[in-house]
Amino acid sequence: MWKRRRKTPLAWLNLVHEKTRLLVAIAGVTFAVLIIFMNLGFLGALSITASQIYGQMNADIFLFSPKTLEITTAEPFPIERIYQAAGIKGVTRVMPLYVGYAQWRNPETRINRAIFCYGFNLNDPVFKMPALSDPTLLNRLHQPNTVVFDRQSRPEFGPQDLGTRTEMERREVEIVGQYSLGGGFAADGTAIMGDQNYRRYFDPRPLATIDFGLIQIDQRADPLEMVEVLEKTLPNDVSVMTQAQLTERERSYWITNTSIGFIFSLGVIVAVIVGIVIVYQVLYTDISNHMGEYSTLKAMGYRGQFLFSIVLQEALILAILGYIPGFAIALGLYELTLQATAGTLPVGMTLTRALFVLILTVLMCAISGLVSVQKAVKADPAEVFS
Amino acid sequence: MPFPTPSHRPLLSLPPLRLPPRYTPLAWFTLTHDRRRLVTSLGGVAFAVLLMLIFLGFKNALYDSQIQMLQRLNGDIVMVNRIKDNMFVPEQLARRRLYQAQAFEGVETAYSMYIATGNWKNPETKRVIPLRIIAFNPDEPVLPLPGILAHTDALKMPWTAVIDARSRAEVGPTHAGFTTELMEQQIEVVGSFSLGTDFASGNGNVVMSDQNFLRYFARLGPEKDSRTLNTVDIGILKLTPDTDVNEVVETLRDRLPSDILVFSKDDFALRERRYWQENTNIGFVFGLLTSMSFVVGVILVYQILYTDVADHWAEYATLKAMGYPNSHLLIIVIQEALLLALTGFIPGLLVSMFLYDMAANSTGLLLQMTTERGLNTFIATVIMCLVSGAIAVRKVMTADPADVFG
Repeated sequence: MWKRRRKTPLAWLNLVHEKTRLLVAIAGVTFAVLIIFMNLGFLGALSITASQIYGQMNADIFLFSPKTLEITTAEPFPIERIYQAAGIKGVTRVMPLYVGYAQWRNPETRINRAIFCYGFNLNDPVFKMPALSDPTLLNRLHQPNTVVFDRQSRPEFGPQDLGTRTEMERREVEIVGQYSLGGGFAADGTAIMGDQNYRRYFDPRPLATIDFGLIQIDQRADPLEMVEVLEKTLPNDVSVMTQAQLTERERSYWITNTSIGFIFSLGVIVAVIVGIVIVYQVLYTDISNHMGEYSTLKAMGYRGQFLFSIVLQEALILAILGYIPGFAIALGLYELTLQATAGTLPVGMTLTRALFVLILTVLMCAISGLVSVQKAVKADPAEVFS
Repeated sequence: MPFPTPSHRPLLSLPPLRLPPRYTPLAWFTLTHDRRRLVTSLGGVAFAVLLMLIFLGFKNALYDSQIQMLQRLNGDIVMVNRIKDNMFVPEQLARRRLYQAQAFEGVETAYSMYIATGNWKNPETKRVIPLRIIAFNPDEPVLPLPGILAHTDALKMPWTAVIDARSRAEVGPTHAGFTTELMEQQIEVVGSFSLGTDFASGNGNVVMSDQNFLRYFARLGPEKDSRTLNTVDIGILKLTPDTDVNEVVETLRDRLPSDILVFSKDDFALRERRYWQENTNIGFVFGLLTSMSFVVGVILVYQILYTDVADHWAEYATLKAMGYPNSHLLIIVIQEALLLALTGFIPGLLVSMFLYDMAANSTGLLLQMTTERGLNTFIATVIMCLVSGAIAVRKVMTADPADVFG
């Protein structure tokens, strides 16, 4: 029996027939992909910052006030709650955490800026950052009016070198160390201090009310079960969540309660529509130009299904060829964004996003293919040859 | 005779001007020939315009929203604490500075405005969210918005306030006549006004009398700074008519203690806007997205023009064979590009205005389409179409009649 050795790659040949146009079509898909990537990247920075902050804390479970919307609007609750939690089986350690905004004076420009501060008991291993487990630094932090400063704070806060002396909340302050954390969406910069210094800078706030209760549990205990036990035991003036749950709560706050989610989602939707329009134009032109050929194929006995698959193949080729450079440029632009914003906007590629955009691109091209293919399927050989 | 007039050639015997009786608008015909394609082409340009306008609109909205409250203050000069670098900094100035300022010539009156963040309970979901509380003497037209002026008397009653109808949906009802809680104390909403959100008032605004402000913020418990009427967040000076604002600003800066900053209202709004421009990533993020949209637009329009050129390949070659120079073909394609820019811009503008409306309603941001922005975008659209036209025309230039008829 005769067997076709090699199938003519009709879709591919159609596309590469006109080189310039193919390049421009690919560029169109690339840019649509790029815009989608950038919008999703900015949106994704929300969850990155949220998890960056909580991920740097040595706790499995967090206690916080139900009135707390996100970390910078934390409402204080009584410190007794963590002592109560400490009495529950499976809890190995409880630690208080104090937060709040303070006015930091840039010693060079003398302009004040709000800096987000964390206060903690210096005997507790609250933070995972290696800088904060250095015993000499902790000794320095025991001294009055000292803080460690976040390297990822915006440059407008002024010099961050060790020994820099300036004012915070109208009180002298000295930078005795540095760490890397990032302030996320709500803060331009952060600083960490001991609880005694927190008491000084945030007077009249007493240490008897805390913003977060950090709980470490026995390694054998299941965090979700522990959350349930804690919820049952503690009065309902505190909420109990695992680190993952709290991160997710923070992310959904930013996405649903601010304009950020709306803006970037709209950006993605418009970019997808533009992508559809671009691919549609390419395919439609291709079909109009090769109407004669398509009709000939039909006259030869090829079914509409075959033409359909050619157009879809073209759409897929465009999707993939457009996606690859879009992905590559997006990586570059993410890097550029990181540098241009001095690390305050931590955009980064994730596997899920890469896959999601790939699927979105294929869908986008497939939709255009489906819309434009009608013309080819309807092609009537009689009309062309008459 | 240095300039002899040739007598054998009268002046009026020039060959008759051979203008064609009617110029054929080739570009127009080419574009409108295929209706369905025309619609697709216009859709393409419209989408490119839409994409640019959306990102541009959000960028401007985020900036404009910051100053919409400041712009509506009823006064000419604004006084703030020296370290109040932007509206986010909760620092107050001594009220006596306002009394001092009133003594200067040209200053008619001084208003105090108190601002705080208060926890508002949504009466439906019982969720507590922070709102910006703005307070002043209701007898003084500090923030003359119709919804506030209409409820002056009601606002003088204890435990009352008016709420911003453009607050975010999470705030709950924004109509008059319900009771809820602010700072864990009862509050009655007696009316609503329209202002909108910004970064400092992420969720919405509430306006109340200065006396009521004391009821909610004068006793906050030991862990928080309590407020009194002696310190003011924003001092507003109203000048007598025909006074030079800048002169008074200079005098006040000169004579008043340096613990305050004095600005004309416009300068103050500008300073606030500049702060957000320089200190946030908004400009970078949306600038990047807008320029990417521009490139997408170039690609879209190129596709359209290229298709047209490819389809009329034979016709263009015929024109060339007839002796039309390349520049003529160039003009036709450029005309098409301009026509596309013109006709595609309008639907793009209309759709984006609709989207602006939708976005403004769901975010409370101030998305406004000004003539200047519209014009700038139009110019960008024209440039976009011209760039695409210039790339697409290269193919026509190389058209060789011999190829087509060969």
